[in-house]
Formats: sequence, C-alpha cells, structure tokens
Amino acid sequence: MKILTCPLNGPRNMSEFTYGGEYHPTPDHADASAREWAEHVFFHHNTAGVVTEWWCHNASSYWFLAERNTLTDEVLRTFDCDQLYNQRIDFSAVTTPETRK
Amino acid sequence: MDPSISPTQTSRRSSLYRRHSQLNAEFHSFGETIAVHHYGSDETTQAQNLGLADLSTLPRVGFKGAGALAWAEQCGVHFPQQPNWASKQPDGTLVARLSSSELLMIGDYSGHSPLIDRLAAADRPERVYPLPRADSHSWLALCGSHAPDTLAKVCAVDLRPQHFENGRIAQTSLAKINAIILRSDIGNLTNYAIFSDSSSVEYLWDSLLDAMAEHLGSPVGLQALIDNR
Repeated sequence: MKILTCPLNGPRNMSEFTYGGEYHPTPDHADASAREWAEHVFFHHNTAGVVTEWWCHNASSYWFLAERNTLTDEVLRTFDCDQLYNQRIDFSAVTTPETRK
Repeated sequence: MDPSISPTQTSRRSSLYRRHSQLNAEFHSFGETIAVHHYGSDETTQAQNLGLADLSTLPRVGFKGAGALAWAEQCGVHFPQQPNWASKQPDGTLVARLSSSELLMIGDYSGHSPLIDRLAAADRPERVYPLPRADSHSWLALCGSHAPDTLAKVCAVDLRPQHFENGRIAQTSLAKINAIILRSDIGNLTNYAIFSDSSSVEYLWDSLLDAMAEHLGSPVGLQALIDNR
C-alpha cells in the first residue's frame, strides 16, 4: 500500500485519500472572463513532472495540497492549503457582457 | 434507576436498537436518553476483557468554522493546543479538537452535558457552524484489554496503548469505513470511543463483533462502563 502524509493526520494508507485534481491559482473573480473561468475549472495542464495537486483525507474531510512528480509518482511534500489561501473570498454577482450571453 | 423501558419511548433512538432487543437487552434511561443498561450478567468483568457498547443516544455536538475555536474559548471551553487530541472539561464533557477549526464535544455517560446544553443555546458569531454529530454519527465504545488487538484487525493505524496515548484521536478508516477513534480510558480500563456515519453503524457493529469473537468479546451495556469508573 502506498502511503501519503496528510498534514493534519500524518502518514496514512493511500486508500484513505481522494484525488482532487491539479491546483491552479484562482483567477480574480471580479475581473476574470468567462473563458478564464472555464479554463480554471475544466482545463488541466497534465504536466509530465512536478505538479501541485489537491488531495482530500476522507475520514477527516481535510483538503490539502501535495507536490508530486507525475513521472516517478514521488510525493515531494504535502502542505496545508492555508499557505496559499489565507483570507476569505466572498463572491458577489458580477454582470459582464459575457455572462449576459 | 428507572425500571426497564422501551428503546422506542423517545424520538432519539439508536439505529441498533432492534439488534439490542434481539440480544435481550434491558434499556434504562440515563439522564435525558435511553440506552442499553445490560444484556446479561457480570458485564463489568466482560468489559475488562473485551466489550462493545452502543452509546449513540448520548449527547454530542460539533462546531466548525474559522471562528469556532475563538468562540469556544470565549465560552470557557478548554481545548488541546494540537489537533487530534481531546481534553476533559470540569463537567465531564470531553472536547476533541479535530482540526484548527473544528471541535467535537462528547458528553459523559450520565446522558447529560451542561456544556453542550449551554453552547447549543448560546448565540453564535459569524463563521461558527454547528454540526449535528448526535444525528450524523453513531457512537460505539470498544473497551477492555483485548480492544487494541481487535482494532489491529480492522484498522491500519497503530492504536496500541503504548503508541496511542489516552486522549489521542485518529481520524481514519475502520473496517473500511471512515471513523473518528478517540482513546478515552475509563479508570484503568482501556477504552476507544468510535464515531462513524450513523447510516453505516449496523455494518460496523457486526464487523466489530466478528473481529472480537476470537478474544471472546461481546456487547456490554452502558452500566458496565459506569461500574468500571
């Protein structure tokens, strides 16, 4: 069994985790175009090399980030997502020409 | 102590009450709740060897959110500095810190927790969200000298007492379902409180009893835990 280290719970069997996709910096929601949002939500770079990914520890519902080499499947480090998300983001409805279409 | 009563007398029932009835359980009221008092005789000794008790009707609640810990502190709750540890409050309530923004509060075996009642009635600021753990999660207690051996069969985390101190918490997979396992000894009795999705508790109950069989474990009533204090 592969072992992944959860920043909250420590080393656990890989079967306790769910993959959550690639991490991308979130676009500024006030200025992003519909195209940028679509790319952020649906598109993936599929990089061969070191990528940052979302993972969830199922038993604690704890989401965190991992740096993983997709060529060797080696996890370089895992870390709390509050290292990248340290303030609350409130979304308000924004009307743009694109959202009206 | 009330005479024997029916588990369906109150709206809060354990999902396991039919199984308990099949095992000829005698139900009594504990505080505001009804739980199994005993199934057979000499359960105090049975609990010291290996016992499984269903405490699902006893009080518990969770609070989560960026403001949860600061609010709890203002309300006089003492919680551990590190996540995945629990500490006992003066009224007997156990407060488990599950992360940097989540607490789980577990009443003692009296069936009444002044702290939980007080927090449930208190005004909550923004970014503090209640979690109805008494509805969402079942509560089993696995106790006795063979409890660590039993857990080793169904859980990958090393929960033996020499590696898993009293008050520690493991959020992990138990018999292939998600569970919060909290070591909360009763006097000298090794005891693990197990919280898991209430919709899966019949499966977990059967799985644990199956794992306990080789160590001659059996269900015990709440009174056996109280008598071991």
